[in-house]
Amino acid sequence: MSAARSALADQLAFLRQDRLALGGAVVIASFVLLGLFGPLLAPHDPIKYDVTTASGEVMRLAAPNAQAFLGTTAYGKDVFSQFLAGARPTLIVGLLGGLLTGFLGFLVGLVSGYYGGWVDEILMRFTDLTFSLPFMPMALLLLTFITPNIWVITFVIAAFLWKMPARVVRSEVLSVRERTFVKSARASGASDLRTMSLHVAPNVLPIGFLYTAYGIAWAITAQASLAFLGFGDPTMTSWGRMLRMVFDSGNIRIAWWWVLPPALGIAAVTTSVFLVGRAYEEVINPEIQTDQ
Amino acid sequence: MSGFRRFLLKRLAVSVVLTLIAVTVIFVVLRMLPGTPFEALITAGNLSDKQVQEIMAMYGLNQPLWKQYLSYMQSLLTFQFGYSILRSRPVWEILGPKLVNTLVLLVPALVTTAVLSSALGMYAGWNRGSATEKASIIATTYLRSTPVFITAILFLIVFSYQLGLVPAFGMRSITASPEGWYQTYVSLDFLHHYILPFSVAVLFYSGDFLLLARNGVVEKKGSEFLKLHKAKGLTETEQLARAGRNSMLPILTYFALRLGMIFQGLILLEVVFAWPGIGRGLVLAIQQQDYPLVQAAVFIMALAVIIANLLADVLYAYFDPTVSTSGGGAA
Repeated sequence: MSAARSALADQLAFLRQDRLALGGAVVIASFVLLGLFGPLLAPHDPIKYDVTTASGEVMRLAAPNAQAFLGTTAYGKDVFSQFLAGARPTLIVGLLGGLLTGFLGFLVGLVSGYYGGWVDEILMRFTDLTFSLPFMPMALLLLTFITPNIWVITFVIAAFLWKMPARVVRSEVLSVRERTFVKSARASGASDLRTMSLHVAPNVLPIGFLYTAYGIAWAITAQASLAFLGFGDPTMTSWGRMLRMVFDSGNIRIAWWWVLPPALGIAAVTTSVFLVGRAYEEVINPEIQTDQ
Repeated sequence: MSGFRRFLLKRLAVSVVLTLIAVTVIFVVLRMLPGTPFEALITAGNLSDKQVQEIMAMYGLNQPLWKQYLSYMQSLLTFQFGYSILRSRPVWEILGPKLVNTLVLLVPALVTTAVLSSALGMYAGWNRGSATEKASIIATTYLRSTPVFITAILFLIVFSYQLGLVPAFGMRSITASPEGWYQTYVSLDFLHHYILPFSVAVLFYSGDFLLLARNGVVEKKGSEFLKLHKAKGLTETEQLARAGRNSMLPILTYFALRLGMIFQGLILLEVVFAWPGIGRGLVLAIQQQDYPLVQAAVFIMALAVIIANLLADVLYAYFDPTVSTSGGGAA
């Protein structure tokens, strides 16, 4: 596992000297905290509570003010509370969807590349199939007859996205398995399973991690996009769903305070993941890593 | 038979099988949907039982499943998509113009971005470590990672609602009633509606092209053939041109892949700008449970991807002799 450990050390060292990646890491960390504690910090219930004026009227579409730090929605709900609560489903689907995507893709790529032959043929044709079923339309179709909740959405996302890491990991495995230490391990009588997990896997682990990270950003994007189209979990406030509410109600024309928090939240997180990933990519891809 | 030809035949066969499987999956998913689009009409009491039976027969919904499947296959593969349930017009009559609207918006955007951002990416890669490169990295990363509807919404707010420069909705003014292709797509009114969705599409696509071109040039920069060119006394620009030319292959194949994803990738862009394209058409058809329309739209999207994948693989195998043509399925 020393290869994985040194790759990790490399990555941390790189993070420290790459200011963009460091900034990205900070944003991701605050997003995770927001996902964990956001709903607890929210001053009000995001859906049940109505913000009211001193005279007891429901405050609708109010710009940021003393009672509602980020203003109110057309239904008199507190935007700040919705923003805090909305981080959680975004985090859950992003994290689980990304991890599942990376894990499935890594496994398929590893097995496919290592065994080659008909195993490779079958798995890669299967990958081709998921490539040819367009994600968005298929996801929309599926979520029409399965009532969407965050677990179903996570599963649908992973079911369509594992193909990306699968291909990349496979091509890495193809080059690793030709190296001497793998060949000598096999020659000395190590089983396929042992060779694959002890000698090949650690060497493709970094690229697996990288694509898991990208998977997280893709999952967040997919979840937000589906929620925006009205195919999100109807029981949870998410950033994508907030955007759908403000867009569908037509209040996007005026209520910038209702649009910006979820929009910038999503943009900041996905961008940060890719910024960190880019720095990481330069570490594990020596061809891009020139000494300039 | 030459190796390339065998590769081509195999790849073609794979594509045909993929198309059949994709079509089958769509069929199965659609049959699993609960309820029928007629249910609303029936519960509203507007149709009698007899009328319902007649309509079901008209759409072949009373036949055994395998018969429905066969006629469905036949209809898709001959591009006879049947009648829209809700609008009682041929599906093709509804989808055709939407398809054109999508292409009119996205093909020029894709071409523009492929040229501009590849050039920019090569420049950034050549001047590694410069401020331009740093700035372009942030912009690029934002553009390729953030969902397109967020950029679209932000642009809408700034340019349409705050500055009032461009209309926010649709392809034409509501009062416009153009006739024929020329009046539809060549007018100031159309251009006015076009510019915002076009710009967002260009920006959204630009990220990947920029990065591909940049990485290509960065990789080439330290390579032996460039050192040779440098020794031969070529100017910086000439060297960059050589390095750039050698990074074209990934860009070309990526262009082909993007072209295939053109219908499905920007469903959200079409929804935000209310662009009457095929993506928005699909979302509406799903909401209205207009199955014939849905299956035709999804079929077109899947077919486009399959053809583009085929094209990209063949392009790659044809232009890059180092790619093994016997293995197939090159990523």
